[in-house]
Amino acid sequence: METILSVQGLEKSFKDKQVLKSISFEVKQGEIMAILGPNGAGKSTTIRNIMGIIYPDRGEVIFHQYKDIPRHKIGYLPEERGLYKNVKVMDMLLYLADLKDYPLKKAKERALAYLEKFDLKGKENVNLEELSKGMNQKVQFISSILHEPELLILDEPFSGLDPVSQDVFKDEIRHLADQGTAILLSSHQMNLVEEICDRLFMIQQGEKVIYGSLDDVKTEYANFKCTIRGHNDLTVLKQLPQVQRIDHQPDRAVLYLDHDVTPTLWLKNLPVELHIQELSIDRISLHEIFVDIANSNQSNEKVGEQHA
Amino acid sequence: MRNAIKVARWEMRRNLKNKTYLIGLFMTPALILLFGFLGSLMGEDAENGSSTTVFINDEVGVYDALKETIHTVELDWDIQQTELSQDEVNEALEDTEDTAYIFINQEALSEGIVPVFTSDAIYDLFSTELMVLETPLKSIQMSKLGLTEEQLTKATTPIVFSEEVAGENTEAVDGKGATLEEDPFKKAVPGIFAGIILFSIVIAGMYIFQSASQEKKDKIAEIILSSVTPGELMQGKIIGYFVLGLLQAVVLLAFAIPVALWKTDIPIIEYLLVPETLLLVLIAIIGYLLFAALYVGIGATMADVSTAGNFQGLVLMLPFLPFIFATSVFMNPTGMIAKIGTYFPFTSPGVLLMRLTVMEEWPWGEIAIALVILVVSTIIMMKLAGKIFKVGILMYGKNASLKEMWKWLRA
Repeated sequence: METILSVQGLEKSFKDKQVLKSISFEVKQGEIMAILGPNGAGKSTTIRNIMGIIYPDRGEVIFHQYKDIPRHKIGYLPEERGLYKNVKVMDMLLYLADLKDYPLKKAKERALAYLEKFDLKGKENVNLEELSKGMNQKVQFISSILHEPELLILDEPFSGLDPVSQDVFKDEIRHLADQGTAILLSSHQMNLVEEICDRLFMIQQGEKVIYGSLDDVKTEYANFKCTIRGHNDLTVLKQLPQVQRIDHQPDRAVLYLDHDVTPTLWLKNLPVELHIQELSIDRISLHEIFVDIANSNQSNEKVGEQHA
Repeated sequence: MRNAIKVARWEMRRNLKNKTYLIGLFMTPALILLFGFLGSLMGEDAENGSSTTVFINDEVGVYDALKETIHTVELDWDIQQTELSQDEVNEALEDTEDTAYIFINQEALSEGIVPVFTSDAIYDLFSTELMVLETPLKSIQMSKLGLTEEQLTKATTPIVFSEEVAGENTEAVDGKGATLEEDPFKKAVPGIFAGIILFSIVIAGMYIFQSASQEKKDKIAEIILSSVTPGELMQGKIIGYFVLGLLQAVVLLAFAIPVALWKTDIPIIEYLLVPETLLLVLIAIIGYLLFAALYVGIGATMADVSTAGNFQGLVLMLPFLPFIFATSVFMNPTGMIAKIGTYFPFTSPGVLLMRLTVMEEWPWGEIAIALVILVVSTIIMMKLAGKIFKVGILMYGKNASLKEMWKWLRA
């Protein structure tokens, strides 16, 4: 797949605080690349640097087929977003498409199609201030994809959406990627991103934590976990082999397994007296990986501070 | 530039579709005209009220000469001849208002005392107005004395004191004399025209301020800035509101010029179509650009118009600064205050327009210096506003402090 965007060694400080430390990643055509991290990790700052809204102290942002930022080929949904209140939906969409140099007739056709797709049929002549917050979010999303961008940058696209709308957005993002759009999205809701992203860049306090494809990251970091529903004593569970830690409740237990566990063998060795109503085995989620890594980083830092 | 034009077009369309703007567009001239009309109605009422009936008992045949004089000086007198004698006057004047009887006979002419009887209620100026009759009566008095035509002319020509102050430019004195003879509106019309344009576009400039801070309030700035540069967005706003301002001026003039043509005898169109108008309009336009840059920059530092701090509020009032100078400038258009006002960029457009409206001889040197100062400060202001706009427009939810603005300017 062709690389659309490369970010190399991005660094940025606000006052004395360094908020980005040597951030490097790529976004390829037709993939969904996610920047993940907690609030304040530096996700939006990275994106604003890419969009040329702020400038990095060091490092480069390269759009491979273009010399400068190809603004009309990028769709952008910022984290802090809104639209003019006292204008009609269609006027707003056409203005933003016009700013992207997109033909108006085509923009109008696509706008009507998307409004229908997002359950906003017949709202084109309604003032934006009359729409609900969720509907406004949908119009904002449409405005970022109306001009068929080559690169779509979505900063926290799911924030403030209800579960149904989240699914609609997720499906559309996946659909766009399948059609060849390069997508860079940021989120702190890792469970949502886990479902759609191809590759991810995890960031904490402005630094890279993990970077790679979702499968690689999961293979490398996501050990298996076994969830057992049933009444078992903690002492019994503690005797099981290759278990790192246990979350124990009276009728339910989650066993976090070693990295090199082979699930089939491990299952075969379970004792017969174990009380099992239900049993599932899967890899731990991105969220859990992140919390683990973030915690270990923090404890490393604390150790470092103690030695200093 | 293409993007700036797109932004400008959008700002124009957005406002023209906005009911509040449209109402404002037509209400402003309508209100001005309404007040003007009410004023003139009251004025007419007052004049009608003071219309005076003057009866003249003429025994020496001066009635026509007096009537002509009164007509020439446009006194609001309704004059009639009467045969009433002085004895009957008191009775006739009973229960009347603004009525007078004048008795002109041989005795009055030879003694130089003309008996005038007025009703109880007569306006104060009447006795002053009576003096108008002095000249025709005097000439009749003298012709009765047998003076020749030449002697008569000399005797009735008033003596004029021609003053000249040592060291002062005599041309200027001559110039002032000329102004009195010429129609003062000849200079005033282009000035008022440019003034209306300046007023309209500066008011439109205030909308820029609102538009820039609205961008922040609606949190749309970052979306727009993903398509255009901050410079283009700023230029687009300045151009858009410039055109809206001109539209306001056109609407205002479309109301004002026909009314002025109808109500006055001033040949407005003829006075307008002179090269001076172009210079005055140019001054107005540069003035607009200066204030527009200032407004767009300050607007970008504010989360909401209603939260304007002291500093921002002060800046908003800057275009009205020339009004403080107005009296001094009109009284003495070549004085020190007028000159200072000309060279200070924020008062320069207003003060220049005022001065050039009343001055017969234009101080070209001063105009040139003022224009250079104005253009240079406009360019500097645009650059500074650009810097503030770029950062400020993305700072959602709070007003920028002076300290922050200073930091952005130095960046």
